Amino acid sequence: MIGPDGMATRPAEAGAGAAPSTADKPAPPVAPEGGRGNRRAWRGGGPARPIVAALVAAVFFLPLYVALVNVFKRGDLITKEPAALPVPPTLDNIVAVLTRPDRLYWVSLANSVLITGISIVVLTILSAMLGHYVSRSRSRWVRAVTLLLLCGLMIPPQAILMPVVRVMQATGLMTTLQGLILFNVGYYIPFGVFVFTGFIRSIPVDLEESAAMDGANRFQIFWRIVFPLLRPATASVLIFLGVWIWNDFLDPLVILGPSQGTTVTTGIYRSIGQYQADFGSVFALMFLATLPVLIFFLALQKQFVKGLTGGASKG
Amino acid sequence: MAVDLTPRPVVEAGPAGPRRRRPVLPRVWHFVSFGGPGFAVYACFVLAPILISFGYSLTNYNPFNPPTRYVGLRNYQLLLTDRAFLTSLKVTTILTVIVVITPNVLGLAIAVLLDRRGWLYNALRSVFFVPMVLSSVVVSIIWTRLLDNEGPINQALRTLGLDNPPGWLSDPDYALYSLGAILSWQMLGFCVVVYLAGLQGVPVELQEAAALDGAGPARRFWHVSWPLLAPALTINTVVLMISAFKVFDHVQVITRGGPGEGTTATIAFLVLRTAFEENRGGIASAQAMIMLTIIAAASAAALKLLQRREVEL
Repeated sequence: MIGPDGMATRPAEAGAGAAPSTADKPAPPVAPEGGRGNRRAWRGGGPARPIVAALVAAVFFLPLYVALVNVFKRGDLITKEPAALPVPPTLDNIVAVLTRPDRLYWVSLANSVLITGISIVVLTILSAMLGHYVSRSRSRWVRAVTLLLLCGLMIPPQAILMPVVRVMQATGLMTTLQGLILFNVGYYIPFGVFVFTGFIRSIPVDLEESAAMDGANRFQIFWRIVFPLLRPATASVLIFLGVWIWNDFLDPLVILGPSQGTTVTTGIYRSIGQYQADFGSVFALMFLATLPVLIFFLALQKQFVKGLTGGASKG
Repeated sequence: MAVDLTPRPVVEAGPAGPRRRRPVLPRVWHFVSFGGPGFAVYACFVLAPILISFGYSLTNYNPFNPPTRYVGLRNYQLLLTDRAFLTSLKVTTILTVIVVITPNVLGLAIAVLLDRRGWLYNALRSVFFVPMVLSSVVVSIIWTRLLDNEGPINQALRTLGLDNPPGWLSDPDYALYSLGAILSWQMLGFCVVVYLAGLQGVPVELQEAAALDGAGPARRFWHVSWPLLAPALTINTVVLMISAFKVFDHVQVITRGGPGEGTTATIAFLVLRTAFEENRGGIASAQAMIMLTIIAAASAAALKLLQRREVEL
């Protein structure tokens, strides 16, 4: 059996790290747990290290601290003493955002959840299947397909938005969630494909062939046998694309338009124009909009870091 | 563990060979059924628009001012002497240089500092990761408040006795560098993660051997760890370069290209303004094509240059 964390893990990391050339080299000498412990003990470190580390982190954290305390502070104090602790703390800002008459927060949240959720599910399905084609087919067109997808990894949205807007206007997709979701799927699919491709290559073809001998068709083979083995790659794709699409600002701004449908990011952007002086509400809105993705991230931090560090450690 | 195609030729050469050679039709069907849907969406929303953009760049396209005529390379010619465009190239270059260097250097230092085990270091690592999941809009608004003329940073400087602290975002001399600092802050976590992973891949035996030979911590780092961090440097540099080159959100939220005449208008910002506010589609497309060419050329060059340094263990 191929354990999902065993042999299957490394290649996907190489894929995610965009270092395909290193795929055929031996795995890096990751020290076993025991060896690691020794190494840390051997390296030691004076008492200064934790203090310096904590200080540096504190300085780095300052902007977030200021943002956080201002969520719970009265409006007039935010401009007067922005860095002071909120005493006494107030929930007025949060309540004000939650009970806004135009329901900006709730509408934006619903839109963002819908757009992000549907986009990442569709992206996972389509890019896993396209990844299977790219890594399994031996047709001579595969090279061309791979190359075209590779280009997609660095195309800035600026280079395609104008024609996209025009096509969407012609087809009635402009200012609709469906339009934005379709654009997201097209734009992010190369990333998904590269994560999955590296991973699928590590799964023996024999597995699929023996299933074919038993009479399973291509779809059954893929969804029942291959896809369950791709869980770590699926996790990477869902996490990264989830965070990216949730935080995306430019595409919803252009495709949904600045006024009608808003996602959380364009909602915040809209609110800074409206509130002007009321920064309490702006900070509360940012806090509430970030909370879902922050919880998502803290819960999956290990997976997140694993996906990020792909090719970094000579994988 | 070796990932690649190595086992396949063996299978093919064996008695099972003919079974693997499928007729053409199933191949087409494989593409249509598996690759087709995904590739079709990609083709519609990325590949075709790129070609159309290139087409636009050769015309005087303006959605509100038809008819559209073919003008050849005139848009590109105009851009070569266009003040706003040349300024945006300069602004983007300065920003990219700041954003490639600062997080790389600081990220490496912090990774070395945090390369220890224990709950404290785990918690501190999380602190550096947080900005990575924050929306650029959120980061921009936080920093706009911080760097406001009357914001906490200038308040602190005043209490320290500096009577006229600079207008970080309102002074044309400072705004671009403030923007660079904000971007560096947000990208720092990424570099820390990648360098930490790189450091954890440095074998203990090499460190020990160097120590036995009498190398101090500095020389051990420079001669043992640093060469092995080459892949991490490659990834960080290329990712930072591409992201810095595409910066739009921060400019749109914080400065809108100002203060003054385009002091922080990056090329990504200029393209969108030309396209959607001035409706000069042809010119905007030409700008976008130049932007795309520069990104492609720069990342290919950086990859080539940096990968040469990567050593085998």
